[in-house]
Amino acid sequence: MGYDILSKVIELTDSTEALEKRLKDVAYLLIHSFAFDQCAIYLLDQDKKVLTLAVAVGSKRGCQEEYREDEGLPGLAIKNGKPIFATQSKSAKELWQGGLDKGTNGFNTIVCYPIKDDWFHGVLYLKNKEKKTISIKQKRLLGVITLQLATAIKNYQCIVNLRDINTKMKDMQYRLVNAEKLLALGEMAASLAHEIKNPLVSIGGFAKRLSHQMSLDSPYMSYVDRIVKEVAKLEKLMDGIVHFSKEEGYAFSSEDINSIIEETIAFFEDDFKKNEITVIKELSLNVPKIDVDRQHLNLVFNNLMTNAIQAMEKGGRLTIQTYQEGNWIVAEIHDTGGGIDPKIMSNIFNPFYTTKETGTGLGLAITHSIITNHKGIIEVNNNIGVGVTFIIKLPLAGKEGRILEAS
Amino acid sequence: MKEKILVVDDEEGIRLLYKEELEDAGLNVHVAASGEEALAKLEKDKFDLIVLDIKMPGMDGIEALRRIKERWKNLPVILSTAYHHYKQEFGTWASDAYVVKSSDLKELKTTIKDILRK
Repeated sequence: MGYDILSKVIELTDSTEALEKRLKDVAYLLIHSFAFDQCAIYLLDQDKKVLTLAVAVGSKRGCQEEYREDEGLPGLAIKNGKPIFATQSKSAKELWQGGLDKGTNGFNTIVCYPIKDDWFHGVLYLKNKEKKTISIKQKRLLGVITLQLATAIKNYQCIVNLRDINTKMKDMQYRLVNAEKLLALGEMAASLAHEIKNPLVSIGGFAKRLSHQMSLDSPYMSYVDRIVKEVAKLEKLMDGIVHFSKEEGYAFSSEDINSIIEETIAFFEDDFKKNEITVIKELSLNVPKIDVDRQHLNLVFNNLMTNAIQAMEKGGRLTIQTYQEGNWIVAEIHDTGGGIDPKIMSNIFNPFYTTKETGTGLGLAITHSIITNHKGIIEVNNNIGVGVTFIIKLPLAGKEGRILEAS
Repeated sequence: MKEKILVVDDEEGIRLLYKEELEDAGLNVHVAASGEEALAKLEKDKFDLIVLDIKMPGMDGIEALRRIKERWKNLPVILSTAYHHYKQEFGTWASDAYVVKSSDLKELKTTIKDILRK
């Protein structure tokens, strides 16, 4: 009989099913083969030092979701590194009456077997209402079974870790390729930027002079206005391209993020009106000043609002929030422009990637780079069919720096 | 008497724009297309202030700045360039001010007025 159970356990634990399914199959096998009312398997979280219920079969009575590493009978089994076999008797009275484990209430036989090989993975917890004796042979068999469970759990965790490492490596590879692209872009930009900026200044400057000399009711006034505005945007873009690859180009000073956002909103006032976009400002007054490069951060909000405006050509709602969250200052920019196609989500921060006819594909690449240069984080919440939320988190690091200096 | 300033820039469009805008602001504006031309003009004529581009072919703005400050120690020089980061790269400590070029000349005009008022 022992051999049959063991070979069945090996078969179940070696299957390709998800770990939880395998553990559940073994638990069913155990309550039937050993005639117990309840079988639970707890897994040990080494970091949090808790035992969490993975599966429970049979009666659910007194089946606790979680035990601390030093709590209850499972905790005791881990602490001693030895199984506990007990029946309601004088010698084991303290297990029931001492309040050591409420999960034993209503049961008269328990087995609490640590699942371990070279370290602990969890606990196998069997309970039965009736008193019963567990033979030496059965005890030995349970020892081998828990060892088999330990191997299965360990293998599973190795696979999870490998997958995790694999994901991280892919992510790193992606970042490296991206960094190379940005570097190449920076070099190209630097050589082009100077040639482009001078004519731009001339065009914009003369268009401004022209607009000053035209009467306000001239039909051409709107044309000239358009030139002035477009040039101003291009100048901003060029400034961004030149700056974003060069961290030394940043001039950090203590700034109020709300005022930078207000400035950008004012810049787009006409566009909001034209596209019938309602702007909702939820700017926290308690946000402390942080060390940022004002010009660059201006560009970040400029890019994000440009995207939002383009996404909401037929009107919508732009909500801008700021708040403090621990050591971060957070700004959220939420539009109702229908969201981003999930197929292109992984590309949105890539330089030169664009879906717009007139886009440069630089807006979000620059935005990402500026936030990174601020040691910040940018996240995207894409709600398909509804809209996009860009979440920018900037560290209160300047403050920490000053505290360190003071001490 | 109008204050006399010299705008030095290799780009014709910038020279024209600066001349017209600064003349409208009440200044007597002369132009030079290179560092060499600027130094030659300074030898002949007396100026109250120089607006100097950094990146120019031949003698660049930094070299011109060094020579100007050697000869005319008290002549104010405003460095003008396309992008902010050149400030860090070139080390513009010897100039009196630094302005990034923009189609909006407000900052340049204010800087010139502030320096001339001193």
